[in-house]
Amino acid sequence: MKDLGYLIAIVAILIGTFFSIIGIIGLVRLPDVYSRMHATGKVSTFGVVLLTVAAVFATPLAGSKALVLIALLILAGPVVSHAISSASYRLGIPMKSAARDDLAGKRIQPPANQAQPARAEPAE
Amino acid sequence: MLAYWRLTLICWLIYLAVTANFELANLVVGLLIGWVIAAILKPASQSLSLRRLPAALFNLAKYTAWLAVDIIRNGIRVARIVLDPKLPIRPGIIAIPAGMKSELGVALSAHAITVTPGEQVVEIGDDGVMYVHCLDVVTSAAGAEEAQRKRRAMLQRIFE
Repeated sequence: MKDLGYLIAIVAILIGTFFSIIGIIGLVRLPDVYSRMHATGKVSTFGVVLLTVAAVFATPLAGSKALVLIALLILAGPVVSHAISSASYRLGIPMKSAARDDLAGKRIQPPANQAQPARAEPAE
Repeated sequence: MLAYWRLTLICWLIYLAVTANFELANLVVGLLIGWVIAAILKPASQSLSLRRLPAALFNLAKYTAWLAVDIIRNGIRVARIVLDPKLPIRPGIIAIPAGMKSELGVALSAHAITVTPGEQVVEIGDDGVMYVHCLDVVTSAAGAEEAQRKRRAMLQRIFE
């Protein structure tokens, strides 16, 4: 039973490390902020979650901690990448070689408690 | 009052999971911390029907499994795009109507989209339209409406 746990942990570590490396390669190769957020998002969902899955199986006493950690990571990771890409769009950072942009020309509503316009014009 | 004790219980369970220590002193301290957090947050009272709880939990498990399969499939797709020497990306932003009234439903749909590699929500309009940035617009746009319909049905089964 213990050996089976270790086997699952080793497989999870290998896959998690593999996807973390792919995420970093993507971070270097992809052209702009928005595409790069996909790559870093993959590191946080695949890489880190699989490494914590390995922790669940390899260290039975700390397993419940790792389960809470997985839930928090899956809930908070997408919020971070959404916040960064949304902030980039509001700052007017352009997409490189965009095939399609349905958001172009739509006015983005500033939050109710904010006096200044949320979307600054890109600097000349 | 019921919502208050429910929140206390949830906080207590999370505290016990994090500390992983079941001595009496730790149980009491966890209960006190949960009680204080619930007192500060003041949860709105909601009707909780215990009869609906097993069905909701079952649907939640089904939704999580579907999400996991989706994440793995899209993760492999994005890994192949990144490792391809020609880097065949067609980035762009497409609009997907969420088709849901409640803010929680729209937020959970946006979460499900963003957690899958290759698609992420950049902005949500007032009318619940999600503007999604995709690494491959053509493939994503083809399956987007269908996926959102499925997601909506599953989320509604959890909360109804």
